[in-house]
Amino acid sequence: MTKTDPEVRIPDPIDLDRAEEDRLRAAAGLAPVRPERPEYAGFEQVGIPDRPPETAREMEVYSLAEGEMLLNMGPQHPSTHGVMRLLVKIRGEVIVDIDPVLGYLHRGIEKLCENATYTTVLTYVDPMDYLSTMHNEHAPAIAFEKLYGVRAPKRAEYIRALVVELNRIFSHGLMMGFLALDMGGLTPILYSFINRDEIVDMLSAISGQRMLFNFFRVGGVNFDVNDEFISRLGTWRSHVLENIEMNEWMITENEIFTARTKGMGTLTGQEAISLGVTGPNLRASGVPFDVRKAHPYSIYPELELEVITQESGDSYARYLQRIAEIKQSIHLIDQIVDKMPHGPVQAQVPGIIRPKPGRAYGAVESPRGLYSVYAISDGGPNPYRFRMRDPSFISLQAMPKVMPGRLVADTMAVMASFDPVMGGVDK
Amino acid sequence: MAHVRRPRPAAHALGRRRSLSSPAAAGALVRILTERFADDLRDLWTDEDTVEFQIDGARNVEVLTALRDDPDLAFFMLADEAAVDYGVGAHFEVVYHLFSWQHPAWLRVRARVDRSDPRIGTITHLWEGAMFHEREAYDMMGIIFEGNRDLRRIYMSPDYRSFPQRKDFILPDDAADSPAHGVNPLERPETWDLSRFRDAAGAAAGTPDAGTPDAGTPDAGKSRRR
Repeated sequence: MTKTDPEVRIPDPIDLDRAEEDRLRAAAGLAPVRPERPEYAGFEQVGIPDRPPETAREMEVYSLAEGEMLLNMGPQHPSTHGVMRLLVKIRGEVIVDIDPVLGYLHRGIEKLCENATYTTVLTYVDPMDYLSTMHNEHAPAIAFEKLYGVRAPKRAEYIRALVVELNRIFSHGLMMGFLALDMGGLTPILYSFINRDEIVDMLSAISGQRMLFNFFRVGGVNFDVNDEFISRLGTWRSHVLENIEMNEWMITENEIFTARTKGMGTLTGQEAISLGVTGPNLRASGVPFDVRKAHPYSIYPELELEVITQESGDSYARYLQRIAEIKQSIHLIDQIVDKMPHGPVQAQVPGIIRPKPGRAYGAVESPRGLYSVYAISDGGPNPYRFRMRDPSFISLQAMPKVMPGRLVADTMAVMASFDPVMGGVDK
Repeated sequence: MAHVRRPRPAAHALGRRRSLSSPAAAGALVRILTERFADDLRDLWTDEDTVEFQIDGARNVEVLTALRDDPDLAFFMLADEAAVDYGVGAHFEVVYHLFSWQHPAWLRVRARVDRSDPRIGTITHLWEGAMFHEREAYDMMGIIFEGNRDLRRIYMSPDYRSFPQRKDFILPDDAADSPAHGVNPLERPETWDLSRFRDAAGAAAGTPDAGTPDAGTPDAGKSRRR
């Protein structure tokens, strides 16, 4: 094996071609193909973006030092949890920088909601974070109820908490499966979907839909619990812990899994707070912030709820945090079913409501963190401004923080541990 | 199994009106705020779980730094940073929602931004996570956050030239119903104004007016583009 002198740069074949082409064109008296343009100075070797850099950060990402290259992961990459592009700057197999490029799923839901009535807004927000649809409806429902000055009946609040916790369980369960899938383990995702399907059947029994439930209303919920829901809930409750333990048994102690998650993507609590990371990802870094406890809404003040935290803040901690929260949610569901009162499930609210001019903020703890809605009413039938803060959108900013120095192959494994959903990221 | 909606019970059993005028259980927070920010604080207002005040857009960094670093306030977490457009002739607002362990209320800080020159200081040095919020506000509203080192579009493509969440950006399918009848001064032809295709088709067919079906109607005097 011949040793190459590291000082001597091996010329890029494309550069050789370009030089040869320029020489031929110059000999023939033709202008060079790519005239020198000052705004592209320093970008010839990159090729992208096909425009001058706009910001200092973009300049930093696109400027390559010796030995670095840019790699696009996505937008159609099967493991990007939706349609997203990660622009990865690498040196060999080691990541130097990451720039997430978003917007491939942008539907302008906020603008659509500003042109919809308050009741129809609750259907528009469903496909945002499509794994936590119930939470998507919960925050606007809280905000609109504040705006309109109505409170949901007690039983409706209990049913809300029940379906929301069920939704959290299947969302966290899917995260376990996807995390293993991104490391090459194909089996757990199948079991995750089996577990999810049981819950989805249950929720479809109560709401009539399997995925985009459209279950919440301003001032209550659409339907009361019915026999099918209760019977499915009982069946599920009788074996859910065994299922989760089987999943754990498959994943938690797996040697490959632990090797690829322990110490990966470590965020300290301070960094996580600064980056706006919330939810299980923040609690895995040791910060006991849970909206259900920190700023209680719905019936959570009446339930026994301990905020669980982990210490290490790495991918493994985020995984363990999810498992702990699944068990916590099951405990919450037990309490909710025990305490659920009788009564109406809807307050008397007209189909088209016109709240008095005002502002309201509704925040809930979604499986991905703090999901909040800021709604402004001008007295008309649709919200004047409808603002959604999606947790996975903000958590995605952690990727450029935690990934430099790691291998390309771990990018998706770490990203899966943050559990972003692109429908929510792109709104 | 069919879903049976329960019969509606009597009105008195239904949801009760919640009094929005009652102040939050956040008297201590209100007192501290009025002490610390006597000069900046305007229109202090409380909801049942929110304390809100307005500040001048030029003072946002100072106020938010104080809110974060003051040990009595300690609003360590930026829950949300939203931009609001109050329409042509009015102003923009950048709205911050903050959380602190010490106070049982969300704190909402509304910073007013001039609409003709929408500039406000960045807070990405206080919370790094404000970056995506500010990029979104820039993309959707066109608010410039001074000092933000990555202020580029985040959802729309880089060559897009409009700010779609401004109130004078009217959705194409709403144009017929809009008071302005489709006038949209913010959209530029290079993005998604279809008139250039119509014009091109009309020129190809040799009938220059074919691309402007509204020419000659009573509204033609307005700056109508579709």
